[in-house]
Amino acid sequence: MRISRRKAEQGNVLICVLCTILIVSLIAGNVLFNCITRSNTASSQVRGWKESIYAAEAGGDLAYAEIRKTILDPTHAFSGWTNLGGVYSNSPVTFGRDSLTTSAAVNVFYNDSNGNPWYRIRVKGSAPVLGLKRATMDDRMGVGTRGDSLLRKIDFNYDHFIATYGPKGDNLLKAIVPVSRPQITRRVELVAAPVTPFEAAIKTLNSFAGPGSAGLVDSYNSNNGPYYFCANNPSDPHYGDSHSGGVELDSANFNLGGAIWGNVTTNGGNVKPSSSIHGTIDNNVPFTVLPYVMPTNLPLPLPSPTTIVDNVTLNPPSAGSVTSPNAYLVSSFSGNLTINQVGTAPTYVAIHSTGDITGSIDAKPNVYVKIFFDRNISLKARDIVNESGIAANLQFYGISPSDPTAIQSIDIAPPGNFAATFYAPSADFQLTGNPDVTGAIVCKTFQGNGNTSWHYDRALDTAGDAIDYRIASYVEDMR
Amino acid sequence: MKLKNSHRINGFTLSESLVSLSLSSIVLAAAVASSVSLQKSFNAVDNYFATEMQQVRIIDYLNRDVNRGLSVTTSADLQTVTVTVPNYIIQPGDPEAVADPSLIGTPRAPTVAYTPSGPQVNYGASTSTVVYSISNTSILRTENGAVTTIASSTDQLVPQTTDVELANTEYANASVTFMPILTTAGSPAERTGTSLYATAYLRNKRRS
Repeated sequence: MRISRRKAEQGNVLICVLCTILIVSLIAGNVLFNCITRSNTASSQVRGWKESIYAAEAGGDLAYAEIRKTILDPTHAFSGWTNLGGVYSNSPVTFGRDSLTTSAAVNVFYNDSNGNPWYRIRVKGSAPVLGLKRATMDDRMGVGTRGDSLLRKIDFNYDHFIATYGPKGDNLLKAIVPVSRPQITRRVELVAAPVTPFEAAIKTLNSFAGPGSAGLVDSYNSNNGPYYFCANNPSDPHYGDSHSGGVELDSANFNLGGAIWGNVTTNGGNVKPSSSIHGTIDNNVPFTVLPYVMPTNLPLPLPSPTTIVDNVTLNPPSAGSVTSPNAYLVSSFSGNLTINQVGTAPTYVAIHSTGDITGSIDAKPNVYVKIFFDRNISLKARDIVNESGIAANLQFYGISPSDPTAIQSIDIAPPGNFAATFYAPSADFQLTGNPDVTGAIVCKTFQGNGNTSWHYDRALDTAGDAIDYRIASYVEDMR
Repeated sequence: MKLKNSHRINGFTLSESLVSLSLSSIVLAAAVASSVSLQKSFNAVDNYFATEMQQVRIIDYLNRDVNRGLSVTTSADLQTVTVTVPNYIIQPGDPEAVADPSLIGTPRAPTVAYTPSGPQVNYGASTSTVVYSISNTSILRTENGAVTTIASSTDQLVPQTTDVELANTEYANASVTFMPILTTAGSPAERTGTSLYATAYLRNKRRS
């Protein structure tokens, strides 16, 4: 009996020890569980906050892609989007493992002096908040001081933004809108700005040869008055505008003769510093220039003329505007065209030539002309008369042939000088003689190894039709 | 006999009592010590997690402002950051609000201005300024004079930011560290071990 009683007493001690271990383990487990739960909740909310901006930016990319299509593929731009009062919007798009959603609204808010639209993109992105439906672990940092919830603004039951500011954030149409799941929504606003073609004096894809040993490429700014050479005179007030005569080449085939007062870039070339290049040299700058397609936003062409043969004087019926110029469609252009100003108003003209251009053109002062050509140009420099002297007032656009193997050419022979711009990424450009040219060019090949003097006008920085878009501004609506 | 036996059985000798008391004390002391240690551990772990979340929050605040920033500058001690941001929302006292008070709290429409360095997108004629600074144990965010405490910890949170300006871009490198409360003599390595780094680019950088 005594023996059995002793055994019972020893068992009690063992139970006590086991109970103590159990209690301590429970406390420890609870501590860990509590910490992990709170950490998971907070981590999930941080993840939702970050994913929501990814969703918003993805929505911005979708909208940006549509805007780029207005240049690159106009017939399919904003296909499937709803246009309500000039505002394009898409249905919410769901994507990703966490079912992120995004939607965007796009509208033109500004047309620049070239008639290029600037787009405002308003986009929102939402991400679910997984885990417990509660504010995060350290939301209260003090009396009345919120932590994470002030930043992350989780919608547990209702969309706080619509309730407080309205769906567009303009204090209109406020409503209590339940959310199907806890979520975080972030809103950003982007601005897509047009990219204009003339960012360098000469931009060519396949080869560059020029200028001759007595020629030069330099720059000036027509906003400061007519051109004069000052690139070698640092004390000249316009010296700062004289070193932007840059040449950009997307290949290695670079042959230099005369002076270049600007930067030179090639794609794999072997251009070395020399006394002829007065700028930086970079032989590792590839770029892409997409084929140029005929713009679709021009008005319908006027009934006449439909050909330009012999002497044709154009007196447009109205001054037009940069976004709605007087448009003409001509099948041949072998005559001498003179374009007059309408009264004293700036006059805008757009001509689409489906045949070769072999005639001459005389644009009077205050006349802004864009010539779109499907085929080739072959004329003398003196046949390009731009009476304003401002290169941006006479712009030539070469429509890229649908057959990429087709050859398009621009041949300009002596004598004469001219002021104009050329955007013809599929054309071989050949300039012979010793012309004095004010303007800029984008072409496939450039050959101008006579003693050409080519003066880039810095005012062309923002001139010309949009050839692409870039995101110029980013703002987040933090409310 | 049975009663006597039962009395003897129910009693404890002095030595038995002392032994059991000693054992109980040891077990109790162990339990109390464990509880205290666990409580301290809980507090430390909880505090570590909480401070870590505050690190993340500081970085998230800063990156959001830098991303939409026009310019960013940091003080010599790297602990005060000033970000200039577009004035997106119309505030009381703004010219638009004076003309039409119903516009208060609504977004501005963008405008385009031409400068010698190219076209710029603006929201209103002025900009907003956001300043990040340290005040005792708190990290403050001040936007146009309105102060928000974005983090507060006794763990000595220290954000440091550098802005790097290149020809065509600018970015801010930030790091936030803290000293965990359970440290061994507060060695610098323990602070370094908590470092959280982030880089954010200015998407609206103004070029000169």
